[in-house]
Amino acid sequence: MWLAVAGKGGAGKSVVAGTLARILARDGARVLALDSDMMPGLALTLGAEEPPLPPLLEAAEQDESGRWRLKRGIGPVRAIARFSTDAPDGVRLLQCGKLTAAGRAPIMGAFHAYYGIIHRLTRAKTLRSWTIVGDLPAGQRQLAFDWAPYAETVVLVVEPTWKSALTARRAARIARSRNVEILTIASQTRSRDDARLVERLVGEPVVVAVPHDEAVARAEREGAALIDRAPRSPAVRAIERLADELRARSLGPG
Amino acid sequence: MKIAVAGKGGVGKTTVSGTLARALAQSGRRVLAVDADINPMLGISLGLGPEDTESLVAARQALDEGELEHQPSAAGIVETFGADAPDGVRLVVVSRIELAEPG
Repeated sequence: MWLAVAGKGGAGKSVVAGTLARILARDGARVLALDSDMMPGLALTLGAEEPPLPPLLEAAEQDESGRWRLKRGIGPVRAIARFSTDAPDGVRLLQCGKLTAAGRAPIMGAFHAYYGIIHRLTRAKTLRSWTIVGDLPAGQRQLAFDWAPYAETVVLVVEPTWKSALTARRAARIARSRNVEILTIASQTRSRDDARLVERLVGEPVVVAVPHDEAVARAEREGAALIDRAPRSPAVRAIERLADELRARSLGPG
Repeated sequence: MKIAVAGKGGVGKTTVSGTLARALAQSGRRVLAVDADINPMLGISLGLGPEDTESLVAARQALDEGELEHQPSAAGIVETFGADAPDGVRLVVVSRIELAEPG
């Protein structure tokens, strides 16, 4: 099961991705969590320590013309073993790199190394039994520029608002053009009508509704992982249903 | 007065920008609202509505497609590709990404 989580800013992508990764890992899956946001937030929702700055820089080298690339001889399996960091429940976290006070230049190598790694994931036989959960930055840019080539399924996280729905439509168009399965979840819903509203605005069936939940706001305020702070909260329960749905699909026909 | 509004996703940048633009226009200023997000939503917060916001022309794509014969000035871009929003605000969308691009 290889997924990428996408949606508008603030929809709840990182909360869904981090919580889902933990749930799948607890159930026995080997989980690789990918954060390709240069202002990463997935470590927080995974309940992991923030990785050092930026670990992937060591995996990058410059070619003769000065262009950054993944170092020769570093395959995806080795890169993950060396450059991913520990998260609870055995989840491995790989960040693309992050913006530092030093500015843009120091992370360009890390970005290119990350891009090289994610484009080689499908070649690694040992990773086929792994579960991958990617957390994409807000909007549809990374889907358009092929920053989730590993994704068999794009999980669209959509609030019951027009802005969130239009973002989801744009992301869905791109995912469909890449023949990637789309799974839409409504987020921060306050009634059953909200999930139906998301269906109507996006034009996709809603598989799970993650309700508006004060436990999420509390966890975010404290900088804690939702699954640690409020494991029995309605939002975690809903993401467990999402995990069930994903497992059922990956076992199902096709 | 030239203002750029920034922040993390979902904090309310677009709502603040759109409302600020309208408020300034209502107080008598000429306001140009620039949507520089490649996932442009400022039209909604300015009050254009979702359908009109979806159908706005993005300047970059229009220029790439050769809508203008000569390299236009900034004022020309605002004139040609801008849209009128309520209270006299002029809105320009810089760029949008609609489809998958080669990796």
